[in-house]
Amino acid sequence: MLTYDVVIVGGGGAGMRAALEAARDKSLQVAVFSKTYPTRSHTGAAQGGINGAFAFKDPTDSIEKHFKDTVKGSDFLGDQNAIDFFVNECPECILELERMGVPFSRDEFGRIAQRPFGGASSPRTCYSADKTGHVILHTLYEQCLKHGVKFYNEWFLLELVVDKGRFQGLIVQNMHDGCIHPVNTKSVVIATGGFGRIYWNRTTNALNMTGDGTAACFNAGIPLKDPEFVQFHPTGLAGTGILMSEASRGEGGYLINKNGERFMSRYAPEKMELGPRDLVSRAIETEIREGRGVGGNGNFYVLLDLRHLGKKKILERLPQIRELAIDFENLDPIEHPIPIRPSCHYMMGGIHVSDHTTCSTPVPGIHAAGECACVSIHGANRLGGNSLADVIVFGKAAGKGACLSAKELSSGAEPILLKRTAYWEEKFRTMREKGHGLKVAEVRDRLAATMWNNVGIFRTEKEMEKALSEVEELLQEYNSCYIGDSSTKYNSAFIQYVETGNLLNLAKAVALAAIARKESRGCHARDDYPTRDDANFLKHSTVTKIGDEYKLSYIPVTITKYQPEERRY
Amino acid sequence: MKYAFFPGCTLEGAAAENLLAIKKVTEILGIELEEIPGWSCCGATHLQDTNELLGITINARNISLAEKIGLPILTVCNTCTLMLKTAKQRLDNDDQLKTTVNKALSEANLEYHGTSGITHLLWVLLKDYGLANLKEKIVRPLKNLKTACYYGCHIIRPPETLGFEDPHNPRSLELIVEALGAKVVDYPARLDCCGFHALFPAEKAVLKMSGTHCLVAKNTGADCLVTPCPLCQMQLDMYQPDREKYLCTETKIPVLHLPQLVGLALGASPKELGLNHHIVDTKALLNKIS
Amino acid sequence: MAMEIVYRVKRFDGEKSYYQEYSIPYEKDRTILWGLIKIRDEIDPTLSFRSACRSAICGSCAIRVNSNALLACKTSLDKQLALYQTNILTLEPLANFPVIRDLVVDWENKFKHMTEVKPWLIGEKDCPGGTGYYRQSPDEFLEISNPTDCILCGCCVSECTQHTNLRDEFYEPFIFTKSWRFTADSRDNSPKAHLLPVLNEGGLWKCVRCQQCITKCPKGVRPADHISRLRCSSMNYGFTDNLGTRHAQAFAEYIQKTGRLNEVTLPLKTEGIFRTLKRIPFALRLLRKGKLRPLYFPSPIQGIEGIRKIYNRLRKEEKK
Ligand SMILES: Cc1cc2nc3c(=O)[nH]c(=O)nc-3n(C[C@H](O)[C@H](O)[C@H](O)COP(=O)(O)OP(=O)(O)OC[C@H]3O[C@@H](n4cnc5c(N)ncnc54)[C@H](O)[C@@H]3O)c2cc1C
Ligand code: FES
Repeated sequence: MLTYDVVIVGGGGAGMRAALEAARDKSLQVAVFSKTYPTRSHTGAAQGGINGAFAFKDPTDSIEKHFKDTVKGSDFLGDQNAIDFFVNECPECILELERMGVPFSRDEFGRIAQRPFGGASSPRTCYSADKTGHVILHTLYEQCLKHGVKFYNEWFLLELVVDKGRFQGLIVQNMHDGCIHPVNTKSVVIATGGFGRIYWNRTTNALNMTGDGTAACFNAGIPLKDPEFVQFHPTGLAGTGILMSEASRGEGGYLINKNGERFMSRYAPEKMELGPRDLVSRAIETEIREGRGVGGNGNFYVLLDLRHLGKKKILERLPQIRELAIDFENLDPIEHPIPIRPSCHYMMGGIHVSDHTTCSTPVPGIHAAGECACVSIHGANRLGGNSLADVIVFGKAAGKGACLSAKELSSGAEPILLKRTAYWEEKFRTMREKGHGLKVAEVRDRLAATMWNNVGIFRTEKEMEKALSEVEELLQEYNSCYIGDSSTKYNSAFIQYVETGNLLNLAKAVALAAIARKESRGCHARDDYPTRDDANFLKHSTVTKIGDEYKLSYIPVTITKYQPEERRY
Repeated sequence: MKYAFFPGCTLEGAAAENLLAIKKVTEILGIELEEIPGWSCCGATHLQDTNELLGITINARNISLAEKIGLPILTVCNTCTLMLKTAKQRLDNDDQLKTTVNKALSEANLEYHGTSGITHLLWVLLKDYGLANLKEKIVRPLKNLKTACYYGCHIIRPPETLGFEDPHNPRSLELIVEALGAKVVDYPARLDCCGFHALFPAEKAVLKMSGTHCLVAKNTGADCLVTPCPLCQMQLDMYQPDREKYLCTETKIPVLHLPQLVGLALGASPKELGLNHHIVDTKALLNKIS
Repeated sequence: MAMEIVYRVKRFDGEKSYYQEYSIPYEKDRTILWGLIKIRDEIDPTLSFRSACRSAICGSCAIRVNSNALLACKTSLDKQLALYQTNILTLEPLANFPVIRDLVVDWENKFKHMTEVKPWLIGEKDCPGGTGYYRQSPDEFLEISNPTDCILCGCCVSECTQHTNLRDEFYEPFIFTKSWRFTADSRDNSPKAHLLPVLNEGGLWKCVRCQQCITKCPKGVRPADHISRLRCSSMNYGFTDNLGTRHAQAFAEYIQKTGRLNEVTLPLKTEGIFRTLKRIPFALRLLRKGKLRPLYFPSPIQGIEGIRKIYNRLRKEEKK
C-alpha cells in the first residue's frame, strides 16, 4: 500500500507551497497527488497580482491598512484574528517567492513593483506583468523539482476516508491506467481549488474546477463554511466566461448598454466603472434584466469599450486582454467593443478551517488551504490580489500544520482503506459496463442553468427554492447516469462523472445556505432582503452532511479591532 | 522594376550556377539588378551567435548601403533574407537599438534609416512582377515536368519577421511552378528543414534528414526538387554520395534553384542556367522538357 | 449555411491506433477545442483529450492539427478551415511524446529532462530564511521575461527538427528556454550550472535553426533565440573547443577580414586538418562540377575598413 506521513492533494499554488514546507522536514515522507500536471493548475490563470503591504509604491501603506481593507472588503464577515495573521505574513511570504526565483516586475530601485487594485486603499499588489499566477505556479513547481518532491500526476482523489471521527487515508485513481489505490497517510492537506464550475460555462474558472477536495471533505463529515458567498467578476467574455482582467477598467475602459449609454453613472456616479466587483456585476445584470442588454435569444450582454483608449495604449497596457478578445471573441478591441457579462469567479466559502495557524479542520490530520478552504479571511467578498496571497500564506501554514499532525498521529487502518478501495473499484467497473442512461453532460448543463438563473448575482427566496428542488432532482437523476466508456485507460468520462457528482453536492449546499441567509452582504445580494443584517447574520454559515442529510448551523465571526460599519466606496 | 541586389556569399562559390540563372532570368524579364556595392556576408546565424548586436549592425550596414542607392533590396537566399529582415525588424521597432547601431555605423560613415524594404526573388516574381506577366513570357512550358517544391525554413519561418504568407500552408512556390506549366506533386516534406546550419556539429543527423527529403520526393514520382534557397539546394544536392552511405539506399534526384526552373520555361539554355554544375545529373530532366 | 465539418482524429487505445471521423455541424467563431468538447459531450464520450483553462495559459490542450502543433483552446476553427481550404481537419497527439490514449500524451520524461538544467535559482543560500530579497532592475527583469512566458505546452517539442532526429541527444526546445531563463537571471549565482547541461547533454550546437519552435509557440516564446544566447554565453565562458564555436568564430573572422565567406577554408577552420582530410572526396566532387574555386581567395570588399572599425567598437563595448 502507498504509505506516507504527509500527503498533499492538489498541485496548484496552495498545494505546492504546502509541499515545499512539508518537504523541509527530512524525517517525513511527503507526496503530492494532483489530477492535472501541477503547472496546469488554475493558479496559473491569475493575472493581476498578489497583495503584500511593502509600502514600496506608496510609503503610506501599512500592514494595518491591508488589514482594514480586507476586513471592509469582507463586509465584516472575515475573522479578524485570521486576517491579522494573514496580512502580517504576506510580505515575508512574497519575499520567499522572490528568493525562490519568481520573476516579479520591478520598480526603478529594483524592488518588487506594485500596482493599485480594486478595494485597496494603497497600491500594494505585487505583479509580474500580467502573468503573476503563472510565474508563481511555475516557480513553485521548479522548487519542488529542486527539493525532490514526489509527485503523482494525474492521480485523482476519490475519497477521504474518515472512520469514527478519525482520518485514515485516501482513495485515489491513477488516471493513466485506471487503477484505484488506497493511500495510507497520517495527515493530508487538501488544496484542490474552487468549484466555479457549478455554473459550467458562466465562470472564469478552468473546466476542471469542480471542488473535488471540498466535496471529499464534505462527504467525510467536515462542514462547508459560508458556501453561499460566490464572487462574480463583472467582465467575463460573453461567449466563454473567460476573464478580461480588472486592468481593462483600471486603464479607463467604459461599460456601455444597448443604448450606447455609460450606465455606471446610475450606480456609482463617482467611481463609475471603477466600483468594486460586486457592485459592478450587479449593475450589469440590472441593465440586462431591465431590457438594456445587447444581443438576443436569451444571450444578453453589455459592452466593454476600450476604443477611446487608442491603439497605442491598448497595445502597451492591455496586450493580453487584446489577445484574448481576438482569440476567443474574434474581435479586436482597438476597433470593436467587447461583449462581456459577469461570470462566477471565486468561492469565498469552502472547507471549514478551524485553526488558521495550522489550517486544520475539525478532523485531526485533515488540513485545507487555498481556494477550497474557508479560513475565513475573505468573508463575504474577496479583494483582488488577496487570493494568491491566501494560497501562499496558508499553503505554507497548512504544510507546517500537516507535519505537526503527522508527528502526533498514527497511520490509518488498512482494512477500512481496502474496503473503500474495493467500493470504488466496483463502482468504476459498474460504470464502465453500464450501457445506457442519462448523459452526464446533460445533468451538468441543467445544474449550471438552474444555478445561474436562480442562485446567481441577484437572489430571491422563490428562485433559490426552485434551484434547490431542481438540484435535489438532479441528485436523484445522477444515479441513472451512464458514462459510455468501458476503457480503464485515461477514462475521462468516469472522472467527469465523479466531478459532476461533486458539483451537485456542493451546489445543494450553496443553495441551502443562500436561502437561509436572509440579508444582503458582500456578494450575496438578495432582492427580498436588500440590506445587511448584523443583528441576525453577522455569523458564518456551516453546512454539514450526515448521510444524505444536509444540516445547517452557524458559528460566530471573530471580531477584534473593527466593528462593522457601513461599507462605502 | 529595379532592385538593390544582395547575392550572398554562396553565389560567389559553390552555388555560382544560381547567379548565372538569376542574371539570365532577370534579363529576360526586364528586372534590373544593381549589386549593392561593398555588401558583406549576412552572418548566416553564426556571426549572430557570437555577438547579437554585431549581427544586427553588420546587416544594418548592408541595408544602409542599399538605402544609399535608393532601392529596395532583392535577396536570393533564404538565410540572407531572414538575417536582413530580422535586423530591419529589430531596428524599426526599437529606437534605442537604432541609436546604438547608428553610433557603430557612423564608424563607417553610414546611417540606417529604414527606407529600403527587403524582398526575395520568389516574392518578387509572384507579387511585384505578377503571375500573369510571367506567364506571358513563357516560351517553353514545362509540361511534363513533375516537380516537388521545397521552401526552406528561412523564407517562411518565423512568420512575424518574414510576413509574406502563412508558414503552415504557403502557396507561393507552387503558384510559380504551376505558372511555368510544370506539375506540382504532393510533397510531404515541402516545409521541412534541410539541416544546412548544423552540418558540422550534427553531420550524420543532417545528412540522413536531407537524404530522406530527397527520397520522399523521389517516391512521389517527382522529376526534380526546386527550391528558392541556394543553401537548401547545396545541402540536398552536393552531399548525395555521403548521405547514401548513411541511408544505404539511392537518393539521387536533381535539385534545381528556382531561377533555373524559371529560366528553362523562359527558354534559356541549360548551360546558360548552369545546369551542368550539379552533383546529381540533370540530363534526364532536361530530356523530359525538350 | 448548413455545413458539416469533419474531425479526423487519430485514436489510440493503448494497443492499436486508427483514425476515426466525426462530423459536427459548423458554427461560426468557434475554437478547435469547442469541436472536441462537442464530440465528447454529444457523440463519443470515449474520446480522450486534455483541457483545463481554455484560455491559453495552462498548456494542457496542445495537439497537432494537420501536422502542426497548436493549442486547441486558442485556435480558431474558422482560420484553420480557411488556411487549409477544407472542411476536414486531421487531429493527432503531439509528436515526440509517448501517447497514453487518443490525444493524451505522457510528460513524465520531459520533466525529468527539465531538471537536468537545474531550473531553479542557485543563489547565495538555499532559500535563505531571513528577511531581504534580491534587487533586480526593470531591464534585468525584461531579460528573463520572454522565457518565463513558457507554459510547458509541448508545441515546440512536437515540431522541433533536431529533437525529432536526435531524440535524447538534443533537448526539447523549451528546456533550452528554461536553461536560458536561469542562466540570464541576474539573481543567479551559478549561471554555468544551467548552461553546461545544455552544452554537454543538450546538444546546444546541434540546433538547425529551422525556427519551428518560435513559429509554433502559442505564447510568443523564442527558444531558438535563447539557444543563440546560450551559445554566446558559452563562448564567453570559454567553452570554445567545439565545432559549433569554431564555425561561428570562422564567420566572424571572415567578415572582419574580407567581408565575405571563404567556403574553401571554412571546413579547415571549423574541423581542423584531420577531419577536413576526410572531406577530400567531397571537394573533388565539387571541383569536377566546377563548384569549387580552390585558388580563389576573395579580396576584401569595398568598405572593409568600416566593418573593421565597427567590429572594434562593438567588441570594446562588449568588454565593458
Ligand atoms: C481567471 C482568474 C484570475 C485570477 N486572478 C487572480 C489575481 O490576479 N490575484 C489573486 O490573488 N487571485 C486571482 N484569482 C484567484 C486565484 O487564482 C485562485 O483562487 C487560486 O489560484 C487558487 O489556488 P489553489 O492552489 O487553491 O487551487 P488551484 O490552483 O486551482 O489548484 C488546484 C489543484 O488541485 C488539483 N485537484 C483538484 N481536484 C483534484 C482531485 N480530485 N484529485 C487530485 N487533485 C485535484 C488540481 O489538479 C490542481 O492542481 C484568479 C482566478 C481566476 C479564475
Ligand atoms: S486549455 Fe489551457 S492552454 Fe488550452
